[in-house]
Amino acid sequence: MHPLNWAIVIGWLTYVVIYGIRRSRGATSIDAYLQANRSLPWWAVGLSVMATQLSAVTMIGTTGQGATDGMRFIQFYFGLPVAMVILGVTLVPFLHGSGVYTAYEYLERRFDAKTRSLTAFLFLISRGLSCGTIVAAPAVVFSAIFGWPVSWSVALIGVPAVLYTIIGGVQAVTWVDVKQMYLIVGALVAVVITLLVQIPVSPHEALQVAGAAGRLRVFDFSFSLTNTYTFWSGVIGGMFLMLSYFGTDQSQVQRYLAAKSVDEARTSLLISAYWKIPLQALVLLVGVLVFVFYQFHKQPLLFNPAQERAVMAVAPGEYAQLQARFDSSHVLFERDAIRGTALSLAARITHQPVKDVNYVIPRFVLDHMPIGLAGLFIAAVIAAAMNAISGELNSLSTTTTIDFYRRWIRSDAPDAHFLMVSRAATGLWGIFACVVATYAVNLGSLIEVVNKYGSFFYGSILGVFLLAMLPRARANGAFIGLLIGMSAVYSVWHWAPAVSFLWYNVVGAMTVFVVGALLSVFGSRDTQRTADPSRRSG
Amino acid sequence: MSEESNARFRRTLIRVMTVQVVTLLLLWLLQKTFTPR
Repeated sequence: MHPLNWAIVIGWLTYVVIYGIRRSRGATSIDAYLQANRSLPWWAVGLSVMATQLSAVTMIGTTGQGATDGMRFIQFYFGLPVAMVILGVTLVPFLHGSGVYTAYEYLERRFDAKTRSLTAFLFLISRGLSCGTIVAAPAVVFSAIFGWPVSWSVALIGVPAVLYTIIGGVQAVTWVDVKQMYLIVGALVAVVITLLVQIPVSPHEALQVAGAAGRLRVFDFSFSLTNTYTFWSGVIGGMFLMLSYFGTDQSQVQRYLAAKSVDEARTSLLISAYWKIPLQALVLLVGVLVFVFYQFHKQPLLFNPAQERAVMAVAPGEYAQLQARFDSSHVLFERDAIRGTALSLAARITHQPVKDVNYVIPRFVLDHMPIGLAGLFIAAVIAAAMNAISGELNSLSTTTTIDFYRRWIRSDAPDAHFLMVSRAATGLWGIFACVVATYAVNLGSLIEVVNKYGSFFYGSILGVFLLAMLPRARANGAFIGLLIGMSAVYSVWHWAPAVSFLWYNVVGAMTVFVVGALLSVFGSRDTQRTADPSRRSG
Repeated sequence: MSEESNARFRRTLIRVMTVQVVTLLLLWLLQKTFTPR
C-alpha cells in the first residue's frame, strides 16, 4: 500500500486513541466508568449502538456478499425497526428505571441469583469468544493482503481499542464510536463515488447490468424455515433476533443504560431503527457496484492474494489455463463455474477454508481506489472492528465485575476498588480476545461451533426477560424454562439441521415463555420479587 | 413517564416508520425496474 495510505491509517489510529483518552476525563468512579453517570445524549448513544453492531465483517463481508449474491441479504434486517419499537415501550423503561448496571442484575431482583448468574455466564462465554472472531475476520484478510503475520493485524486493531476502553470506559467508547461512524459512512460514500466515476456506463445502465445478473433482487416472499434470506425469515426470525440482541445483550443494553433518561434511552434505540436498513442498503449497493465494475475491468480469478500466490506456486499451468478461460469468457454462468473450479483448486492446495467473498472489496480498494481514499477505507475497516470490540470489552468487564466479582466475591469494597477491577477485567478480556483472534484461523470449526452454540441460548434469554414482565412469573419457572428453552433449540439443531438459525431465537423465546408461565402457574410457589428502582444491590 | 416524553416518542416513532416504508418502497422499485421477470 502507498505510504500516504499508511500515513492516513496510522494518523487516524493515533487520533482515535488520543481522543478516547481525552474523553475519559472524569471516569473516576464506577458509575462514570460503566454508565458515564447516565449523562450521554440520545444521538451519541444511538450512533454508538449502531457502531457496535457495524463490525469489520459488515465492511468487508457484507459488501462482498453484495458483489457475489446481491441485495437479498438486507431482508435479514426487516424485523429490526419493529423490534426497536417493542423494546422502546417494554424493556427499556423497565431496565433504565430499575437503576441496574447490567440486564442480568435485573433478573436477580425479579427472579433469583441462579437465573442472573446463568444468563450472565452465557453472555460472557459467547461474547468473549465472539470478540475474538470480530478481530480475527479483518486480521486474517489484512495478513493475506499485506503478507504479514496475523498477530500483527490483531495488534493493529486490538491494542488501540483495548487501550482507550481500559482508560475511559463507556464514555470513551461511546464518543470514539461517534467519531468513527462518521469515518465509516464517509469511506462508504467515497467508494460509491469512485465506482460511479470508474464504471464506464451511466448509473442507470450500471443498475441494468446488476439487475440482469439478479443482484438487485431484494424481496423473496416465499415462506421457508431453511432459507435465512426471505421476507418472512427477516420479519419474524429477524425480529426475535433483534429483540434478543438489543433487549438482553449487555453490549447493547449498557449503551442505553448510560442515556440521561428513559426517554433519551428509547429515542437512541429508534435512531438505530432509523438508519439500519438504509445503511445496510448502502453497504450492499457498494458490493453490487463492485460486481458491475468487474464486468468492465479485468477481474482476479481469486481475490485472496495469499491463496492466489499459493496456487500459482504449486499449480502454475492449471491456474494459467483457468485464468485464460476466465478472461476470454463473457458469459456470467460460465465465469462463475470457472471461478468455482479455481476456488476448489485453492482449497485443495492450501487446505484452508476459502472465503474469497471477504477479499472482493479490499482487493478493489487497494487496486483501484485513488491514493488517500484507499487509506481512508482501510482506516474505516479498522475503525469498525475497534467499535465492535470496544463496546463488547466494556460490557464483558461490566458483567464480570458486577454480576460475578461484586455479587459473589466481594460486595463491600470501596468504589475505587471496583473501578480497578473493571479496568483489570477490560484488559484481561482484551488479551483473551486477541489470543482467540490470533489462533482463530486454526480453530475454524471450533469458532463455527461456538457461533452456533451462541444462537442456542440467545432467544432463550429473551424468553426469560419476557417472562419477567408477567406479574405471576416465578423464579423456578424462569430458571427451568431457560434450561428447557435451550434444550428445545438444541433439539431443533440436532433433529432438523436444515432449519435456519434465525428461527432458533423464535423457538427459544417461545419455549421459555410458555414453559416458564405454565410452571409458574401450576408449579410450587417460590418467592416472587419485584424490581425496586431505588435499590442498587450487588 | 411524562405526557411530553410520550408525545416525543410517538413523533419519533412516526418518523422512523415513515423512513422504513420509504426505504422498502425504494428497494421494491429498484427490484421492479431493473430485474427482468
